[in-house]
Amino acid sequence: MENKNKYWKGIEEAELHSDFIKSKGNEFSEALPVEEMLSTIDSDLSSNRRDFLKFFGFSVSAVALAACNKAPVKFAIPYVEKPQNVTPGNPNYYASTCASCTSGCGMIVKTREGRPIKLDGSNESAISAGALCAVGQAGILTMYDINRLANPLENGDEQTDWAKIDKKISSKLASIAATFGGIRIVTPTNNSPSFANAVNIFKQKYPTTEVITYDSISYSGILLANEKSFGKRVIPNYNFDKADVIVSFGADFLGTWISPVEYTKKWTKNRNPKNGTMSRHYQFESILTLTGSNADIRIPMKESKEGIYIISLYNEIAKLAGVAQLAVTQNAELAGNAIKNSAKDLFAAKGKSIVVSKSNNPEIQTIVNGINMMLGNYGTTIDIDNFSNQSKFVEADFEKFVSELSSGTVKGVIFVNSNPVYSYHNSSKLTEGLKNAELVISTSITKDETGSLAGFVCPDNHFLESWGDAEPKNGLISFTQPTISPVFNTRQVIESLLTWAGAMPENAKAYNFVKSTWSSLGDDVWNKSIHDGVLIKPDLPATVPSFVANLADSANKIIFSLPKGDETELILYQKVGLRDGSMANNPWVHELPDPISKVCYDNYLSISKADAEKNGFEQNDVVNLSVNGILINEIPVLVQPGQAKGTYAIALGYGRTQTGKVGKNLGKNAYPLVRTENGYYSYNFCGLITFEKTRKKYSLAQTQTHHTIEGRDYIREASLNQYKKNPSVKNDEKLNLISLWEGFDYTKGHKWGMAIDLNKCTGCGSCVVSCHIENNVPVVGRDEVLLRREMHWMRIDRYYSFNDDGTALTKEKQIDKADASVYENVSVVNAPMMCQHCDHAPCETVCPVLATTHASEGINQMTYNRCIGTKYCANNCPYKVRRFNWFKFNDNDKFDFHFNNELGKMVINPDVTVRHRGVMEKCSLCVQRIQAGKLTAKRENRKLVDGEIQTACSAACPSNAIVFGDKNDPNSEISKLFKDERSYHMLEEVGIRPAMMYMTKIRNTDTTI
Amino acid sequence: MFKNFKSSRNIATIASIFATTAVLRAQATETATQNPNLFYTDNTFLILLFLCLLFLIIAYFLYRVKSHLDNIIYEKTTGQSKPTYYQKSLRPWLQTLNPTITALTIATILGLITFVKAYQFGMNEVGVQQGYSPVQPINYSHKIHAGKLQIDCKYCHSTAEYSKQASIPSANTCMNCHKFVNLRDRYNGNVSPEIDKIYKAIGWDPENNEYIKDYKQKPIEWVRIHNLPDLSYFNHSQHVKVGKVECQTCHGPIQEMDKVYQFSTLQMDWCINCHRQKSVDVENNKYYEDLHKRLKKEGKTVYTVEQNGGTECSKCHY
Repeated sequence: MENKNKYWKGIEEAELHSDFIKSKGNEFSEALPVEEMLSTIDSDLSSNRRDFLKFFGFSVSAVALAACNKAPVKFAIPYVEKPQNVTPGNPNYYASTCASCTSGCGMIVKTREGRPIKLDGSNESAISAGALCAVGQAGILTMYDINRLANPLENGDEQTDWAKIDKKISSKLASIAATFGGIRIVTPTNNSPSFANAVNIFKQKYPTTEVITYDSISYSGILLANEKSFGKRVIPNYNFDKADVIVSFGADFLGTWISPVEYTKKWTKNRNPKNGTMSRHYQFESILTLTGSNADIRIPMKESKEGIYIISLYNEIAKLAGVAQLAVTQNAELAGNAIKNSAKDLFAAKGKSIVVSKSNNPEIQTIVNGINMMLGNYGTTIDIDNFSNQSKFVEADFEKFVSELSSGTVKGVIFVNSNPVYSYHNSSKLTEGLKNAELVISTSITKDETGSLAGFVCPDNHFLESWGDAEPKNGLISFTQPTISPVFNTRQVIESLLTWAGAMPENAKAYNFVKSTWSSLGDDVWNKSIHDGVLIKPDLPATVPSFVANLADSANKIIFSLPKGDETELILYQKVGLRDGSMANNPWVHELPDPISKVCYDNYLSISKADAEKNGFEQNDVVNLSVNGILINEIPVLVQPGQAKGTYAIALGYGRTQTGKVGKNLGKNAYPLVRTENGYYSYNFCGLITFEKTRKKYSLAQTQTHHTIEGRDYIREASLNQYKKNPSVKNDEKLNLISLWEGFDYTKGHKWGMAIDLNKCTGCGSCVVSCHIENNVPVVGRDEVLLRREMHWMRIDRYYSFNDDGTALTKEKQIDKADASVYENVSVVNAPMMCQHCDHAPCETVCPVLATTHASEGINQMTYNRCIGTKYCANNCPYKVRRFNWFKFNDNDKFDFHFNNELGKMVINPDVTVRHRGVMEKCSLCVQRIQAGKLTAKRENRKLVDGEIQTACSAACPSNAIVFGDKNDPNSEISKLFKDERSYHMLEEVGIRPAMMYMTKIRNTDTTI
Repeated sequence: MFKNFKSSRNIATIASIFATTAVLRAQATETATQNPNLFYTDNTFLILLFLCLLFLIIAYFLYRVKSHLDNIIYEKTTGQSKPTYYQKSLRPWLQTLNPTITALTIATILGLITFVKAYQFGMNEVGVQQGYSPVQPINYSHKIHAGKLQIDCKYCHSTAEYSKQASIPSANTCMNCHKFVNLRDRYNGNVSPEIDKIYKAIGWDPENNEYIKDYKQKPIEWVRIHNLPDLSYFNHSQHVKVGKVECQTCHGPIQEMDKVYQFSTLQMDWCINCHRQKSVDVENNKYYEDLHKRLKKEGKTVYTVEQNGGTECSKCHY
């Protein structure tokens, strides 16, 4: 079948750069340095036969000697008193709340012999609904971070103990309060009722105390707009599942915006073409975000022009509704009548549509509210009664705090897990101000930029060691319980605050205090809430609020502040992996390739192809950047398809100067480029941006064309109309494959398989990290990624295609180079790729030592202890999913991440072998989970239930794109999915009969794909 | 690095493998390495070897005397010296051989013998600890507990039915009986020194019959006998509960062991052999319901673990 769309993973592939052509056929990025190695050993000998004999003789005698060694004496140490609930060898599960960001996802912590080893989403929590994002899952390693503070610090570096430090802090606080000096507690959005109680007790003792909320990323535009529109300073509950038409202006709600897991769950619910209804998602944006890459219709737009587009959209809808339009002098229309079309669609789906915007400008958000009001979305898709508490940061409070600090009225500051010295744009002013304070306390768990300026560092427990509660949504209480006793000599912040407030030691214990906050519940409800991890109060009925804001006024303000010319602009954004940078010392989030750019470990200046050509930049060029007088030196350039012309982008969260060994000085800090505009933080800058190209080059560790399976028909996509006409569109061709092999008899027991819905997969990377954790996959570091040696068992292939009828990239144009402007408008398909467990696996037939064989349950087995590392299997795999251990990654200090220290090793899954150097590895279909699931059923004398066994990736997936199950069970979900018209085997024509099926991507567009 | 941790007690809680409170470890290591195997304490073999050597030497000398006397007689009767066996027959034969081919043949044969021996050694000896019977921190006898007193294995190894590990019982399990059993009658009114080791570990005061308050407990560090390599996964509950395998099948006549030793080789062929012979009880486990119906239809009565996929690599190696 002729595939009309041409898919490519990177510009180098689309334009067939010579480097790409050279490397694509090679098994390894560079030839093995065999000759080099031999020549260095043997530089002055013409023949190395003698050396061979010497080495041979030595190894034989060494082996003989080694064999004489006695086996080491090993010990088996039982508990003295076995805890009732801990059974060695069996995991325990506890419900808790993720605190890697402020979304407040409920999670289930898996512990083995008292160590947490895996985090998964909790089904009980409405926010996570059984899934967790990549960052949340990686949070477990932050606890086992060897760079965590082991003791409280005084005067920067002196280790001290709690009794001493408490005494000093209490007396200082008392003297500050006595002289009416201000005390401020700076915390990230904190929706914990217990924390609020603790602060109240603290306030009673020190009445000059105030709490300042500070988040690295601000969503105050929405908060203030809602205050102006409805009198409520809240973030509403966005029900993307109820929306048939979604229009988003730059809001990356599937990747980083407010509560991505929750929104992904909801968004996917209405993305099933089988039901005949599928939401239509428009995305107007300047950089290619994860959300944009999943939108049906994506329109590149300069962010500075966002206001005028939103006003135009308002006017278009008003025209349809017959309501008064906003009086503006200019109206915007984009190519293809995008505004008009989206207005039409929105209006047609009145009450079942939603418009969101990334903008932090309250005026723009007010217009967005006006649009939603006009469309009748309040009470249906937008719920302002059951609002969200996930972000409460309003800049004015923090700015006031900074100026009070400078003026000297604030004398004592307690930074509760917040790091404004790093992430506040005017960090030097804050640093100067802190010098005026008599008492600066930081509670960060590692010594960060703020902590290094604090007189006292009182490290908090990690959230897996803490008791706590949170109210991320109005009426949804999510509890945190410890799953390990504190690894270091740390103390929870509420305990610290209560101790300083002079509470009795017994009352200051976090457990007692949190329980006393909920004493009204009674013991039974309390115990059940801790068991479930959540306490859910019934939802309030969603009402339609009355809209009181003056839209015309807002529109005028927007028009007034629009940039006059067509200047280039800089956009600051969060990456899906690192987010705001607070987890910069976590190697798992760095090793995860960014879902869009596929770059690991760095940030970069992301520019469009057109701008690159205009400025004479190439990928990996290093430039010095000056934005409004602020310099960012030596930042590498990345040419990003999909980026709007005239926009530049840098990710926030990098360039940490004070953190552990992994994140220190990685990338460049872009926070100083954040601007204050009318009191709110603006993440785009339009104005004086100058570049200076240096002669340096910096190779970005970009995995996009690693393990490429180019030139084959792997992706199938169609539009909803095509699908409605013919559900098996693109899958019509039935191949008549004849096999030379005798097949296995798979009918006796199970036949495992996996269905991956390309239509649902957003590419968020949660599965990649989940697999990384579950299967003890080593972190290899930037240098090895550059050599294409990343060890991830699963990767997400991101394919671009041009949004035209295939004219952009003809053979001639490939050679001649396509017009740069076509790169602005691309579509994206994400395809998770892991071992396909082929029934006729090509890897199995080439293994000379039978290290990879087939199992009767359809699993392609990899036996590490048999493997001798010929790599024939990797060479023969059409999906390129096998990974070779070039090094012994554990215990090797060259890979200084977490595998080389005893604390970091505690995260290892004891059911999975840690592989040695020189062996091949690949996805095992989480055979340890399959075996455990089967065993449980056998032990309990019952049949296996469908869905009981989940692989790490299928359990983690926030969009339910990956479904794992038994094909032999006719009632299993996977059997149904395998019969779906959309299902196809990737590379079916090769005849290897993979056990996985992919499902055609359906786009809700009017065009034919 | 452990000085960074809060206290050694925490470490023990976090993961017992990192426990550093080596109370009995030094003692156990010493005794275990000094006397790792009781099989070779017998001297009979050495004495026999010595006697053999002695007789061989005497025989050699006698032979020399005889051949010397023969030579003298020969010389006396013929007047020439007697040609040796080598001069008479071996040398002429040797001279017919090609030296290169001979040398290569000998080398090949020697090489082959070495290889086969080394292979056998590697396969059957290296890492195989059959018979391993180290000295344990407490001189505990299975013969008394499991044999004489008939205590069920799973009373102490209580997790064998529902966990990967059968688990060595924690000291509080011992205390269920040993609160009352302390054999004072055999030790002149004193507590048995072996039982006292449990009391020392858990903090029991045998004089007042009560636990000592705020006692710093020390785990008993048993020497592990069955060391399966990390690359293979073994689950006790699969075998004990689902497979209904008797403990003795793998662990031998444990009820007769005063001192436990490794009964089986724990080699892969040992595992596989059992999986080939043993049949799966598909009838009495609802998990196998469909399979059972099918087998009944096909008229099959024996369904071995191997037929159920029990010899496939990833059943144990992952």
